Amino acid sequence: VKPFAWVIAAALSAYACSLAVVSANATPIDRALPFVAVVVTCLAAASAAELMLAVPLLIAAEMIIGDETTRLLALGAIVAAAVTACMQLQWTRRDRRRDSPRFRAVAATTAGAILLLRWLPFQDVLLARELLLLAVAATLVLVLGRTPFAVTLAVVTVLVTPAVPLRTLAFPLLVLFVAVLARMFGMPRLTLAWPSAAVLGFVMLFFAWSGIVARAFPYFLKQAHPEVRRSEGVPALPARASVMLAVPDGATSLIVSGANVARMRRGTPLGRIEPGGLAVTIGDAADWGYLRRDDFYGTHNPLPRDPAGKIRGYGYTAWVDGAGRVALPRGARAIRVTADAALPPGASLQVEGFE
Amino acid sequence: VIGSPVVLVAAALLVMPLVVLRRRTLLRYYGIDALTWLFAWLLWRRLPAFDPWLGGTLVAAVKVTTFGVFLARGRDVCWSANRAALIAALVYAAAIPSMTRFPIDGDEPFYLLATESLVHDGDLDLANQYQHLERTASGRKDLRPQLGDPTGPHGEQYSRHEPFLSLLLIPGYVLGGLYGAIGTIALFGVLLVRSTVRWLEDEGIPDSAVRAVFPFFAFGPPVLYYATRIWPEVPAAFFFVEAIRGVRAQRLKRWLPALFGLVMLKLRFLLVAAGLVLAMAVDWWRARRARSQVRPALLIAVAALVVIAIPLVVVWRISGSATNVHSWREILPAPGERYVTGFFGLLTDGLGGIPFQAPFYLFALFALTYWRQLPRGFRTGLLAGSIYILYLLPRPEWYGGWAPPLRYVVFLMPVLALGAAAVWDRLPSGVVALAAAATAGLAVHGLVYPYRLFHIGNGENAVGEWLSGMYRADFSRLFPSVIRVNDAAWVAGVLAAVLVIAIVITALLRRPRLSVFSTAATPLAIAIASLLLVAGFRYGLQAASHVEFEDAHVTHEGGALHPDFYTVARFQHRGGWILQHGEAVSFLAQKGTWTLDAITGLGATIELAGHTYVVAPTKDYQRLRVVIPHTARVTLRCLTGAVNLDRMSRNE
Repeated sequence: VKPFAWVIAAALSAYACSLAVVSANATPIDRALPFVAVVVTCLAAASAAELMLAVPLLIAAEMIIGDETTRLLALGAIVAAAVTACMQLQWTRRDRRRDSPRFRAVAATTAGAILLLRWLPFQDVLLARELLLLAVAATLVLVLGRTPFAVTLAVVTVLVTPAVPLRTLAFPLLVLFVAVLARMFGMPRLTLAWPSAAVLGFVMLFFAWSGIVARAFPYFLKQAHPEVRRSEGVPALPARASVMLAVPDGATSLIVSGANVARMRRGTPLGRIEPGGLAVTIGDAADWGYLRRDDFYGTHNPLPRDPAGKIRGYGYTAWVDGAGRVALPRGARAIRVTADAALPPGASLQVEGFE
Repeated sequence: VIGSPVVLVAAALLVMPLVVLRRRTLLRYYGIDALTWLFAWLLWRRLPAFDPWLGGTLVAAVKVTTFGVFLARGRDVCWSANRAALIAALVYAAAIPSMTRFPIDGDEPFYLLATESLVHDGDLDLANQYQHLERTASGRKDLRPQLGDPTGPHGEQYSRHEPFLSLLLIPGYVLGGLYGAIGTIALFGVLLVRSTVRWLEDEGIPDSAVRAVFPFFAFGPPVLYYATRIWPEVPAAFFFVEAIRGVRAQRLKRWLPALFGLVMLKLRFLLVAAGLVLAMAVDWWRARRARSQVRPALLIAVAALVVIAIPLVVVWRISGSATNVHSWREILPAPGERYVTGFFGLLTDGLGGIPFQAPFYLFALFALTYWRQLPRGFRTGLLAGSIYILYLLPRPEWYGGWAPPLRYVVFLMPVLALGAAAVWDRLPSGVVALAAAATAGLAVHGLVYPYRLFHIGNGENAVGEWLSGMYRADFSRLFPSVIRVNDAAWVAGVLAAVLVIAIVITALLRRPRLSVFSTAATPLAIAIASLLLVAGFRYGLQAASHVEFEDAHVTHEGGALHPDFYTVARFQHRGGWILQHGEAVSFLAQKGTWTLDAITGLGATIELAGHTYVVAPTKDYQRLRVVIPHTARVTLRCLTGAVNLDRMSRNE
């Protein structure tokens, strides 16, 4: 009777979540709430029935929080609590004789976390590659002894693998190979329960923008800026081009990004701001689209020091543009922005506006 | 703004586990605690525009809930009533700054005013206090004598409230003004927690159940609200528990002063005292073994009656009437339907009902099914409170009036907590988890928005108002209202009646069969609860067939609430919204023919959904037939004159 009860509970939860989404402006994450509910039910089945409480909490958050960012973070907090609690409960209630939890349960936790992190939005899922990644993750968990550390390592390894292009799948296989070798040569089983919970909780908290966590995780450690109206930008500046700009009242920083500069490394000059001779380099700003899933492989840009990019997309296809804030010279009423002479053909410096 | 309270709350939350948790349990708790701080910090960085007070309170609630889980299920727990009291002291101290962010309300400033009079003038005459309201620590310069306040022959102005609470507040007030006065009540809250835990232990409740019930009781509504505000309810609950403990242990020195204190706080507790004396008499009558025991018992009963009569004399000396603002006629039975209203109100009402304001105590209802197996203290407590409840039910303020919810039954909460603890092992964990989430949510709501604890009693509740305002649809109709009876009240009433009958039948059977609540049903129970939640939500989005114009879902473009927000006993008036010419209201409504209830002294012309209607001036409310051609958001505009719109109901 019990498995049937869980199946019915999952179906009812999914249906309830589907009814909870009413806004015409619902995001793909909101629309995937039934899927999230099914995953949460699976997690509860694999650990403790009380975790099902996450379902009404998800519904309540969906119904009562209007602001999109707050709502998605609330959903993330609920999911993060469910996943980490599931992992911790499985470990604390493990079979004392075998000193490890059941593989089935741990694999379910790992798969649940990966599904939430990588399978949203559904239309962008590359099924064969994702199934391979799930298999690699499960094997990694098995090899590393089903500990919280094993689960977290498997989830994070799979998360940071773009799977586009195909050759990036070598990364999780390499991690698996190293893990097998390490265990063969006597590496003890690592538990690291609390650090693992912290890391897994962090990635799950931002599951609504898991693509950004995967490709630019420090972004979420930085202080978000309240929405400020930006002034109009100007056309992109190719090498040696310059433009004179009047500084709007109250503006404190210039928002800049690059175009076709994804291969440049930190410190490469992009341009200069006068007065003051302020150099704008890779690190102050980055290529505008370098964090897109399809473009990420091969990029050398770091996340800008003070990122000013807007979050675009949801789930694993979420990305943030490479704009960065550069402080304006104190008291300047007008500035001249000049693109660096060494910019290659096709590359340019984009002035996106003032803040 | 929140600098010092944040430090206070953080310190309380860090110290709290040290009081009871030990070794691995403590380490595990601090592991989760560190994670919670980390995630709170991350969220704080990502949501710069989020209300910091709400965010901080949510984090605190998560921590207290987590602590509650560790306390209930931890292996290394060092538990005692004193430790419980210490934890309660920490939490109440951390909660007081939240409650004092807004001016104290209801009867609170009047109790404080009486304390100030006692301290500064040495009397209970508040006339000079009203003249110099800028000096009151409550910060309320708008205070006026309350309706029915007694006056003296030389212009003395007394408070209608019994002076004992004001007397108790003196040391705290002298030490710390308003905070000291609230601190005194919090101290009574701490004593209440200690006494209740002791009582539960005395009644043979297992330690694990006491530990599980403790956070629900001490940190959930209504005790949390009343332990951090100036009302006599928490001190009364303390005296009540002490009285029952004394009776159960047959310790005269405990129950007699406790009973005296209880009645001194509020004359209405005379009914509780009478109930307890009666319960005592029944117990002694049943337990009598020799005729020689009957005489001392009777003597004690007489002594008790004399002691509880003293407050009547005190009140008579102050107000000139032994019943103060009450009348002996109030003892006479009220019409039957008013008992029904109060009974189903307490059981089902969205604003003042136990399920919506303190869901944890529903477990005590479940406990009733095990009536014969319940601790004797529970039965004694319920019997002692039954006379009081019987007189409360027909009164219009059964839900608490202008006070935080469940005011008039706070004293009974320890008894209900005992009932819940007695059946704790039989409760499915999923249901407990749901109750925990609801309790935490209510506590957060009360602490962040303390002014919302006071409600005009118009048939809405905080959740209904919030959702109605957010979606501009009538969500309040989903919550049963016995104050302004709606369809949901009938449904809930039938369900409650069935439940009560089921409880009575099950209690009469010697072996309750409640296998439906087995732990295997937890996921299904939560899934069904989720489905009900969302079904209600979808229904709430639909256009209504009944509109109350003062409700939150109605968009008001000008106009004014009628009667005024602070009208005394506003719930007894017909509410409404007054429109002058040019002003309008809009709302979601079904198509069809409707009846509009309105009143105008000047006469008015209104336009509704494209049709114009003339409302003739009358002295009474009149009913107009109006038509809404399509189900949609419609606008009702006052074109000329002024009109007081009460409600609109669809005819078919």
